[in-house]
Amino acid sequence: MVTDLHQSAVASPTLEKTKERREWLRSLLIGLVILAAIATIPAYGDPSLLHTWTLIVMYIVLAQSWNFIGGYTGYAAFGNVAFFGIGSYSVGLLVLVGLPFWVGLIVGGIVAGIFALLIGLPVLRLRGHYFAIATLGTAEALREFIAVKDIGGGGGGLMSLPLPSLDAYPFLFYAFVGLSVVCLLITVVLVHSKFGYALIAIRENEQAAEALGIYTYWYKVGAFVLSAVPTALAGGLYAYWATGFDPGTVFDRGISIEMVLLTFLGGTGTILGPIIGGILFETASFQFQTSGLNLHNTLLGLSIVLVTIVLPQGLIRLFQEFTRRSTPGLTLANRFMEGLRRVRRYITANGI
Amino acid sequence: MFDVISQPTAFSHVSPLERENTPYPSFLKLMDVTKRFGGLPAVDTLSFSVRRGEILGIIGPNGAGKSTVVNLISGAQPLSSGSIYYQGRDISCLLANRRAYLGIARVFQITKPFMELDVRENVLVGALFGRHQMIYSAAFRMAEELLEEIGLAHKTHFKGDQLTIADRKRLELARALATGPQLLLLDEVMAGLTPAEVTEAVELIRKINRMGITIIVIEHVMQAIKSLSDRILVLHHGRKIAEGQPETVLSDPKVIETYLGKRYAQQQDQLKQVNTDMLNEGAQYQM
Amino acid sequence: MAFGQVLVNWLLLGSLYAAVALGFSLVWGIMNIVNLAHGAFIVVGAYIAFWMYRQLHIDPYIGIPITMAALFIIGWIVQYVAINRVIRAPFLVTFLLTFGLDLLITDLVQQIFSSDLRSINTTYAGNGFDIGSIHIAFDGLTAAAIAVLLTAALSYFLSRTRTGNAILATGMDRDAARLMGINIGRTYALTFGIGAALAGAAGAMFAELYPFNPSAGGPFTLRAFVIVVLGGLGTPWGVIAGGLAFGFAETVIPLFPGIGSGYDDAIAFAVLVAVLVFRPNGLLGKAFYS
Repeated sequence: MVTDLHQSAVASPTLEKTKERREWLRSLLIGLVILAAIATIPAYGDPSLLHTWTLIVMYIVLAQSWNFIGGYTGYAAFGNVAFFGIGSYSVGLLVLVGLPFWVGLIVGGIVAGIFALLIGLPVLRLRGHYFAIATLGTAEALREFIAVKDIGGGGGGLMSLPLPSLDAYPFLFYAFVGLSVVCLLITVVLVHSKFGYALIAIRENEQAAEALGIYTYWYKVGAFVLSAVPTALAGGLYAYWATGFDPGTVFDRGISIEMVLLTFLGGTGTILGPIIGGILFETASFQFQTSGLNLHNTLLGLSIVLVTIVLPQGLIRLFQEFTRRSTPGLTLANRFMEGLRRVRRYITANGI
Repeated sequence: MFDVISQPTAFSHVSPLERENTPYPSFLKLMDVTKRFGGLPAVDTLSFSVRRGEILGIIGPNGAGKSTVVNLISGAQPLSSGSIYYQGRDISCLLANRRAYLGIARVFQITKPFMELDVRENVLVGALFGRHQMIYSAAFRMAEELLEEIGLAHKTHFKGDQLTIADRKRLELARALATGPQLLLLDEVMAGLTPAEVTEAVELIRKINRMGITIIVIEHVMQAIKSLSDRILVLHHGRKIAEGQPETVLSDPKVIETYLGKRYAQQQDQLKQVNTDMLNEGAQYQM
Repeated sequence: MAFGQVLVNWLLLGSLYAAVALGFSLVWGIMNIVNLAHGAFIVVGAYIAFWMYRQLHIDPYIGIPITMAALFIIGWIVQYVAINRVIRAPFLVTFLLTFGLDLLITDLVQQIFSSDLRSINTTYAGNGFDIGSIHIAFDGLTAAAIAVLLTAALSYFLSRTRTGNAILATGMDRDAARLMGINIGRTYALTFGIGAALAGAAGAMFAELYPFNPSAGGPFTLRAFVIVVLGGLGTPWGVIAGGLAFGFAETVIPLFPGIGSGYDDAIAFAVLVAVLVFRPNGLLGKAFYS
C-alpha cells in the first residue's frame, strides 16, 4: 500500500501495471461467479423462479451482445431485436418442418449474421441519428414484412411450436447461462485484442482512428455481425422455450430499447455492465409484474429517463470512481465519504 | 538511443538518408490541387513538392487553407481537383487509413486522445494499425519505447483527461509516430504551449527529422517555424504566394503585407531605407 | 385507380404528412434533437381531440388551437424537466431519453384510454365534392389546407418576428446567441413547445381522418424522420417538399404489382436508407435552419 504522498503522485509504473492487469481478470472472475450463482437456480426446484430467471439471463445475453456494437464501438443500434426475431423464426420454421431444434438454432445464427452483414454494409456508412433510426427502421420493416407475409402461418405471422418435454426447461436455462458465459469470454478477449482496440478507437474518435490506419468500416461491420449472432441464438432458444410467438413479440422494438437500457444502466463498454444492469433492472421489472399491474413499459420508460439524466455513464463507472485511490492514508470512513463526494461530482459533471 | 547502428529501434524502418539535392523524384508532390467548399475554394490550384527528409513549414494568415492542405494530404477530405503524388504514386483517391498504411501520419490541431484508454494504450493503437500492423507483443514493446523517447514513460497509466496540454500533444505525437510514418504532418501543434515548451517541441521535432522522417509543419509561432524549416511555403486565400528559404520568405514584402497589412510593409520598407542611409552616412563618417 | 384520383390523394396525404413532420423538423433543426417522442405527442393530440369531441362536442378542426395550446404546455414541461438536462450530452443519450419519454407517454395514454381503436366520426366525414370522376373529401382538403397554413405561419414566425429570429439565432450558434442576450433555456423551451403544439395539430387532424390507438405514434415518428431527411433541414417549406415526396412514395409504390398494401413501414424505411445513402442532404439540401 503506497503511503508516501510523493510516490503516489508519480504513479509508480509497476504498481499500476499489476493493478491494470488484475482489473480485467477481476471483472472476468466476478462475472463468472455471478453467472455461476445464477446457474444454481434450477436446484431450488421452483418452476416460476426458473421461468423468471430464464428470461433474466436471456436479457443479459441481449445486453452483452448489444455492448459489442453499442458499447465498445459507439454505434447505437436500435434495431437489434431484428436478429432476435430472425433467430426465433428460424427455429420455429425448421422445427415445424421436423428438423431438430439445434439445427434451427445454428441456421438462425448464420442467417442473422448474414443479415447483419447485408444491412450493415449500407447502414454503417451512416453516423449518429441516422444510423440509429436506420437500424430501428430495419427492425420495424422486418416485423411488418413477416406479419404481412404471414410467415409461420398462424395468421399475421403467428407461430405455434410443440411443447418441449418438462426437463427441457432446465436445459434451456443452462443454455442461456452458457450463452452468457460465452459472451462474457468474448468480451474479455475482445477488450485486449487488436479488434477490440480498433472498436474503442472508432468509438472515441473515428477520424483519428482512420488517420492511424484503421479500416473503420470493416471493423464496424464486424462488430455489428458479432452483436447479431448471440442475439439470434437467444431468439432461437426463446422460440423453443415460449413455443408460441408472433412478430409483435419477437420483433418488439421495446426489446431493442430494453437491451440498450440494460447496458447503459450497468455501463456501456464495460465487461460487467450488461450483466449488472440486466440483473438489476429485470429483477425490478419482474417484481412489478408479479404485483399484477402491467407497468412494464412505464417502468422501462421511467428508468430510461432517469438513467439518461442522472447516470448515463453507468453504475460500473460510478463504482470505479468511488473506489479510485486518491490521497492515501485516510481511514475507512473518510475514504467512504471521499468516495461519495467523488461520485456526486462525477454525476453532476456528466449527467445534469 | 538514436544511433542508427544500434539494434532495431522504433525507427529502424526509416533510413536517415542525406537530403537529396535533386528535386526529382520528389517525396511528396501536389499538382494543381484544389478543394472547394460550396463555391469557395479553400485551396486553389496549389502546387508544391517536398523533398525526402526535409522539414517544410507552411504559414499563412488564418483561413489561408493550411489545415485544409493537411486534410487533403492525409486523406481526411477528398480533393475537388488536382492530384497528389506520394513517393511517385498517385494517392489522390486513397482513403485516410490506406494513406496511413503507406506511411503518412498526422497530428491534429485540437488534441483528442482516446479518453477511455490510458497513455500506453493510445500509443499501442498506433503501433497495431500503422504501417507494420504489428502483433500485440511487438506493438506493446514499441509503445513503451516510444513513450520513453518522447518523455511520457512515467505517465503510461494516465488517462487522457489527466494529462496537461503539452503532454496530450506529446501523446498525439507518440501515437502518430507509432504508426511508423515516413511523412509526418504537424498541424499547429505548438498552439497553447509556453515558450519553454515550444523550445522542447522544436527539439523533439528535429530529433524525429534526424531519423529520416519528412515533416510538414503548419505553425503560427514564427520563432519555431523559422528555426525548424528547411523551406517555407506561404499560403494566402488558398494560394501559394511565396516559397523558399526561411530568411528570404519571411522578409518578402508580399508575405509581410499579408500578415501585417500594406501600411506595415511600407513602414518596414521605409525603415530599411533609413537604415541603409544611416549605414552609408556612418561609413562616410568613418572614412 | 384513375390517375387524377391518385394525384389528389397524393397531394392531400403529402400535405398531411408535412404537418406531421413540421414540429419534428423544427426541434431537430434548432436544437439538434431527434425527438423520438414526437409520435407520442401526435397521439396525445389525437386523444385530446377525441376526448373534446366525445365529451365537449367540439369539432376536432375547430378545436385545433386548444389542442395546440395543451400540447405546447406539455412540450414546455417535458423540455424543462427532462430534455434540458441532457442538451449537452452526446446525442445517444438524448436519443435514448426521447425514446424513454415516448414509451412513458404512450403507456400513460394507454392506461387512460386503453388500446382500443378509436376514431372520430364527424357528420361530414367522407363528404366531399367531385370534379369529374375525382372525389375530394372536405376533411382531407381542410387538413391539407391547415397543414400548408401552419407551414406558412411557422415560416413567417421564424423569419419575421423577433422571437422567431431569436430561435433561429439560437439554432445557428447557441453561444453567439447567448452573448446577444438571448435566453437560451427559454428559447429551447419555446421551440420544443411549438414543436409539440404542431404535433398536436397534426394529431387532431389525423384523428378525424383515420382510426388510431396509442401505438400509432411509432410509425409517425419514423415517417417524420424520413420526411425531414427527404426535405432537408433547411426551411419549413422543405417539410412540405419532403411530405409530398414521401406521400408520393406511399401512394405510388403500393400500386406496383406484387407489393400491395401493408408495407408502409418497409416503404418508409427503404426510402430513408435510399436517401441517406445517395443524397444525404435531402432534396432541398441544407444543413440547418435558415
